[in-house]
Amino acid sequence: MGTVSSAPNAVTVSQAIARRARVIQVFKDELIRRLNLPYTPDDLHEDVSLLGSGLGLDSLDALEIVLCIESCFQIKVPDDSIAVLRSINTVVDFVLQQQDQKRGVA
Amino acid sequence: MRTSPVRARLAAAGATFRERHGVEVVSCLADREAEYRAVRDAVALTDFSFVQKYRVPEEKGIDFLDALLAGNVAKIRFGRVLHTFLADPDGFIVADCYAANNDAELIFLCESVLPDAALQAQLEAAGATAAGAEDLTANHGLFSLDGFRAWEVVKEIFGADVLGLPYLSIEVYPFAGQTVRLFRSGKTSEFGYLLLAPEVVVPELFDTLAKSIAKREGRICGVDIHDDLRLEGRFFNLHAEGQRVRDPLALGLQWMIDFDKQPFVGGEAIKRRRAEGLKRKIVGVATEPGGEALQTGARIFHEGQPVAEVVASCHSFVLGHRLGLALFPQELAYSGLSFRVAASEGPAVRTISMPPIMPKSLTVKLDEM
Repeated sequence: MGTVSSAPNAVTVSQAIARRARVIQVFKDELIRRLNLPYTPDDLHEDVSLLGSGLGLDSLDALEIVLCIESCFQIKVPDDSIAVLRSINTVVDFVLQQQDQKRGVA
Repeated sequence: MRTSPVRARLAAAGATFRERHGVEVVSCLADREAEYRAVRDAVALTDFSFVQKYRVPEEKGIDFLDALLAGNVAKIRFGRVLHTFLADPDGFIVADCYAANNDAELIFLCESVLPDAALQAQLEAAGATAAGAEDLTANHGLFSLDGFRAWEVVKEIFGADVLGLPYLSIEVYPFAGQTVRLFRSGKTSEFGYLLLAPEVVVPELFDTLAKSIAKREGRICGVDIHDDLRLEGRFFNLHAEGQRVRDPLALGLQWMIDFDKQPFVGGEAIKRRRAEGLKRKIVGVATEPGGEALQTGARIFHEGQPVAEVVASCHSFVLGHRLGLALFPQELAYSGLSFRVAASEGPAVRTISMPPIMPKSLTVKLDEM
């Protein structure tokens, strides 16, 4: 990122972006591969709806997404996961939150 | 100027009218929160007759619409609806479209920024007459039913099998001796249906719907509240962010495009920009309660410099603060970051993951009703 500076906030922003970008990249790559989506990672906006509108995936796809999250990030997705699966960003939020919990970060 | 086929009824109900792209629309009938609550907690009836509507025989219609629209019309299964867009030759969005495969016909609904004559000219240039396209705009009405209890209304009027329709599907139902085409759709996050009816039954259908929603504490609403509902649900809104950011790639609408299909209007320009790489895209933003500075057109600052612009905004009655979409450079377009809005030392604003609300409708399983 070109805007990294010595200011504390800028470093925090840079670190936050790097961490989130890594999770996004892993998830998008695996999503495209598993569901054979006709898109590149750049084509998938992080807010695109996974189910219903947007990518229009069905309940079988939803199961595949859950398996994708669990295998990529070694975390368990709860059975009632509809709130997690709403968009790529909501999936990434969940992954980052679970990673923080594992590390004992508040 | 084209007006609603139920204008007199809407006026009697207290509607405030305005002009939008050469068509008269209803802005609102009550205060914004009352209309908002009607959708989130009950059901709202909105006149969407401003939408341009076409019927095309399937035989020639597939090739015609496929050469026009960004999505793949040839792949629409029977009974299903494709959500896609119409672009101009430079690849910028001019209409948010539904194309429905209804057996021997394709129904094409077009929420556009083009006046009727301009859209008609674009369709004619693409071969509308040769394809047998029939303009239903003036002789059909279109009503939108949206809300947590919208399914109860369509069930009451058309029967229980309506509940089996999946999202983005079309079915026909008899009503007062005519055929009503019903779209299971919606852009509010709650249950949504569009009812396309010939003008001869439009007043009776409107009255029937109005009576049914009244029994459920519903309301007749205007189009303005749909701007807020679409933003909360992160549905594309041509009349908000779509006016300030016309590039479908920056808007995140790649899912509406089939990049591998035959050429379509604006397709080459879109593919050229895609090959050059995405430089900017829109991201959800939110303030703390009272953060009124988050307004459409406001700039967002990072390290004292303007880096983004708010392209859509509203007050979220559920969340209790303002929400928006802002156009960020790619390197800053991530959820979870803090910025300033309106000035370099202005109020704090943070980028958020969309959609930020959990609608009640997601808790209802219609197939178990």
